[in-house]
Amino acid sequence: MRPNLMAAMILAGGRGTRLYGLTKKVAKPAVHFGGKYRIIDFPLSNCANSGVNTVGVLTQYESVLLNAYVAKDQFWGLNTNDGGVYVLTPREKDTTGLEVYRGTADAITQNIDFLDQIDPEYLLILSGDHIYKMDYDDMLKTHKEMEADATIAVLEVSLKEASRFGIMNCDKKGMIKEFEEKPAHPKSNLASMGIYIFNYKTLRKYLMQDDKNEESSHDFGKDIIPTYLKDKKRLATYKFKGYWKDVGTIDSLWEANMDLLKNNNQLDLADESWKIYTENLNVLPAFIGEDASIDNAYITQGAVVLGMAKNSILGTNSYIGKDAKVIDSVINPGAKIGEGARVTRCIVADGVEIGPGVKVGSANSEHIELIDKKVME
Amino acid sequence: MDALGIINFEDNVATVDGLGEYRPVPAMAFLGRYRIIDFILSNMTNSGINNVHVYCKEKPRNLFAHLGTGSHYNINEKRGQLRILFGEKSFSSPVYNNDVANFILNMQYIESDHNPYVVIAPSYFIYSINFNNVLEEHLKSKADVTILYTSTSDAKNSFLACDTLQMDENKRVTWFGKNRGNTKNKYISLEAYVMSKELFIDLVHKAAETSSLYWFKDILRDSEHELKIKGYQIKGYVRCINSLAKYYQTNMELRDRSVAASLFKADWPIYTQTNDSSPSTYAKGSSVKGSVIANGCKIDGTITDSIISRNVTVSKGAVVKDSIILPGSYIGENAKLDHVVVDKYAIIHHVKELVGTDEEPVYVKRRDRI
Repeated sequence: MRPNLMAAMILAGGRGTRLYGLTKKVAKPAVHFGGKYRIIDFPLSNCANSGVNTVGVLTQYESVLLNAYVAKDQFWGLNTNDGGVYVLTPREKDTTGLEVYRGTADAITQNIDFLDQIDPEYLLILSGDHIYKMDYDDMLKTHKEMEADATIAVLEVSLKEASRFGIMNCDKKGMIKEFEEKPAHPKSNLASMGIYIFNYKTLRKYLMQDDKNEESSHDFGKDIIPTYLKDKKRLATYKFKGYWKDVGTIDSLWEANMDLLKNNNQLDLADESWKIYTENLNVLPAFIGEDASIDNAYITQGAVVLGMAKNSILGTNSYIGKDAKVIDSVINPGAKIGEGARVTRCIVADGVEIGPGVKVGSANSEHIELIDKKVME
Repeated sequence: MDALGIINFEDNVATVDGLGEYRPVPAMAFLGRYRIIDFILSNMTNSGINNVHVYCKEKPRNLFAHLGTGSHYNINEKRGQLRILFGEKSFSSPVYNNDVANFILNMQYIESDHNPYVVIAPSYFIYSINFNNVLEEHLKSKADVTILYTSTSDAKNSFLACDTLQMDENKRVTWFGKNRGNTKNKYISLEAYVMSKELFIDLVHKAAETSSLYWFKDILRDSEHELKIKGYQIKGYVRCINSLAKYYQTNMELRDRSVAASLFKADWPIYTQTNDSSPSTYAKGSSVKGSVIANGCKIDGTITDSIISRNVTVSKGAVVKDSIILPGSYIGENAKLDHVVVDKYAIIHHVKELVGTDEEPVYVKRRDRI
């Protein structure tokens, strides 16, 4: 083991039920964002940028594409001599047979042999569902300064929203005194982001105990953190400031995409000092036709625009036909909008075709419409 | 494919004014996200050539950065290798720095390669070709050397100073000439050759013994009677980037998707180094038409019929027309550019108007602030 090594485990097993349509065939972390990225590019790029080179990705639901994708660790520069991205799926074991991951903590426990082999001093637990940029090395600094057993990244939310999150009640120094999962009457506005740093040796002990506990749901938020608190372990918080979005629904995924169109948007994907890396596709630059009309758009290479794009995100190899109008919409990679078609307030899923002259979505809709199948009339 | 790929450098006649002062032709940015060498190198690796020597006449820095280990061109680093080679001794004059002298200085790497054949091609001709078909034809015709050529009816304007071929009815080359732009129809040699490695090594030595100013194409010309040299025609899109005007015109015509489709084929990807730039932002009030736009750009102004490379800013009120903007440049507020090639990281701030023509585009220097 290299001294002070921090390894990361990304929980990427979620189904993304509320994104159904986009997640029929791919797990939520593989869902596209911002025209060229996939959601899991964010934690993976954050790891690369933070110097965390050893990353396990725990997958389960519809993971063929996701497994194949993250295994190409060179996309994020994680193919270093001492690092790599390791795909960890549930497997048949000598003593237990094939078991799916029963909870977030169980996913780690079931791969404890992998972690023992790496033998890290610190373990970083991440989720594969969020859009944000974070320096995990800075978080580790806090963890060390506070001499904590575990550190949880927290975000200030409004008190109104707080009842949707796990809420931390802290002392003045930021040490956690109490943890409440989705409280009806929150006492604080510090929400857990589901990002944890643990001292690996201590965590290992707790995971082994939890594994035997039949009442446990084997979840970090519901079981492991409360047990740490009960045992008076030192739990610190790391306050995150910046853009963070849980893109759990079609509406929130659309909103996060639309945020990219805002002036000085906080996510700032153009920041050269903290790039988000993704698959390198051999595609041409964007081709903008002679009669195209573009007003406020975020367009990536491979896109072909012959018609109109307004307040929209156009993905890799997307195609906007002549006289087509795309307004307030997200056109995912490979989607094709036929000649004269109209797309308003929609997410058009990967590779989906909208036929010539077809109208989808509406300017007054309450929710964003997801188009996940070919529409020809 | 059982061949060593050798990417040769262009002769001293081919000069792209301005851009050429900072990098050799193969390293020049092209069509927003490519470098000129990407085309010939992708042709080689797509054909299954896994060992490639890239010869660099001068200024290797750019090429090293762009080519790396070659893994982004699908070169398996264990099985094959991409080598960037140059004459490590200094030449007393640029005329001595020819391809033959460089081959001699690196002969050990050519000799130790295990492939029985060589494919030699410079990068300043742009086209798509499967070299397997060329080798197959080469073996079938029992030629000593097979030369790629293109037939043009525009020789008065294009491929100037390039080698021309005359062939008999069996496509055997009977005469090498130069295109002096005096007739319309010509067969142009693409200076791309397939032959056995043994013959290649012989010819290199013979060239060096004949004259220290000889290029490889000179010894081929001298050998037209002794050797069976045959032509292999490329029927599709072929361009030669041997001047600033040709650089400009070739970029510009590829803005047309049907022209681009004749070079970029679905089953024949052109690889390049990725930069992980974010998508480009087209702000409210901007206008973009008839253009090719790479990633990482911030566009507030008006762009018509232009090529905008990675990480370029076009500010409010700026108008970029019929121009090529290279990576990282900044076009300030209300600047008007018409037929301009702006080199990398230039800042156009105080000058408000630059106008060139198709034949003589204005060139703005690398890192210049004007």
